[in-house]
Amino acid sequence: MPTVAELSGLYSNFMMGPRPGPDVCTQCFNFTEGFPRCYACTHGESWLDTVVPISYSVAREQLHHALAGYKRLDGEVARRLEVELAAVLWRYLAAHERCVARASGGERFELVTTVPSSDRARDERHPLRRVVGELCGPTRDRHERLLRRSAAAVPERAFSAEKFEPARPLEGHSVLLIDDTWTTGANAQSAAAALRRGGAGRIAAVVIGRHLNREWRHNDRRLRGLARPFDWSRCAVHSDPDA
Amino acid sequence: MPVQDESAALVALLRSGRQPWQLYADLVEEAGSAIAVLERECGEQAGQASLFGDPVRERISRAAAEIEAWSAEGMRVLTVLDPGYPENLRGVHDRPPLVFAAGRLEEGDARSVAVVGARTASARGLGAARSIAEQLVARGFTVVSGLAAGIDTAAHTSALACGGRTVAVIGTGLRRSYPPENAALQRRIAAECAVVSQFWPDAPPSRRSFPMRNAVMSGLTLATVVVEAAHTSGSRMQARLALEHGRPVFLVATLLEHEWAREFSQRPATHVITRAEEITAIVERLTSTGELVA
Repeated sequence: MPTVAELSGLYSNFMMGPRPGPDVCTQCFNFTEGFPRCYACTHGESWLDTVVPISYSVAREQLHHALAGYKRLDGEVARRLEVELAAVLWRYLAAHERCVARASGGERFELVTTVPSSDRARDERHPLRRVVGELCGPTRDRHERLLRRSAAAVPERAFSAEKFEPARPLEGHSVLLIDDTWTTGANAQSAAAALRRGGAGRIAAVVIGRHLNREWRHNDRRLRGLARPFDWSRCAVHSDPDA
Repeated sequence: MPVQDESAALVALLRSGRQPWQLYADLVEEAGSAIAVLERECGEQAGQASLFGDPVRERISRAAAEIEAWSAEGMRVLTVLDPGYPENLRGVHDRPPLVFAAGRLEEGDARSVAVVGARTASARGLGAARSIAEQLVARGFTVVSGLAAGIDTAAHTSALACGGRTVAVIGTGLRRSYPPENAALQRRIAAECAVVSQFWPDAPPSRRSFPMRNAVMSGLTLATVVVEAAHTSGSRMQARLALEHGRPVFLVATLLEHEWAREFSQRPATHVITRAEEITAIVERLTSTGELVA
């Protein structure tokens, strides 16, 4: 059986950890040019207390391919990607869940759930639930399918408070919401809105990849300025482990 | 729509070459159909094409005739939509939209490791390549290499000699051999196992084709082993590509006499090995997909 460290280590060579900074969106860590928030976060709804991307995911590069492939492909290669992504999530949360909780005003999360797919049929067999609910050690005992895609006809890529519905009353529990990719955040924010409607307390999102295009503005230069290989001892919300 | 038409549509798309090849792998996989992507491109080009016949059908049937001719020569086209497209290669971001195969690729060839190294190799290097190939075969792995002189040839021939499978990934089209001295070995591997190329059958070797070939070789396999290689080699390039694919790299310990290898050995997912058994043990552990341990 592979260990979490050696399997996640395979991704260390191409993962790129976001860090806060003057030209970085204070919500989703997108690169900005002098603005505190990126365009999508300025104009979109904010229902999440904290958003923490583990890595940037650059269009058509390896992490992006893995994050799309574990859902799109099947067979042995898809199963391998699932386990690798579970290892990435495991190693990160084991080290940094407390950082994420503190950034959202607590010490840990009582419940863990995943952002459902916008597409109802696809959501019925979403491999992210296997990653979070079965493979990933730090989350599997707290994982619950708290959200369902509602019957409401809403645009797939846009925010909608009605897109998802809570499966049960959440009675003030803190919830860690996991997703594979953050692009505009519309889906994760829709999920957070539904959790809030269900009565959740603190809600933070950890996403594996913050999606970016390398060709956009200065993204290439910004990405090349990030430390490599990936440093597992640091995270986007508490970069100094001794602080 | 028959599968053959999908393959033909992809060949037609690549023949017209309006976008980078790699992008077509994404477009076609996302759409689930090469015909759909071709129709979109033709629509964008021609507008009201129906007045002038059906350019999509025409291009598909021209490409289908090409595929048939290749097939008569013993070359199969495997596209990303084809169930026979190599499994591991699907997992890497820069996979080619199609590959040509001479011979027979088997499902079991997914359990494979690339063994690469210098063309002018020392006796010690050749010996290491042979014993690594033997160990891989003993553990049921297919030995993948690049059909070059030196380390590649030693890996291929040793795998064949002990009754194992070996696959050659070449930097030219399947109708060519580079260097020409390896033509006989290329024929033998095609007859007994498989030779794979991502290039049109007549494509000559070029400066760009060899690094592209190294990316496919890394993508095809679960890991890359570098036996002996200088600073400027394709093997070093392949090691870098393998890490960018999220695949482990093994450096034979004697490589550490080179500055590049000492630097490289510090990177995550890189292992310096002295015994061939270390390779198979690590690859087997990393690719057993059942569960994880802390």
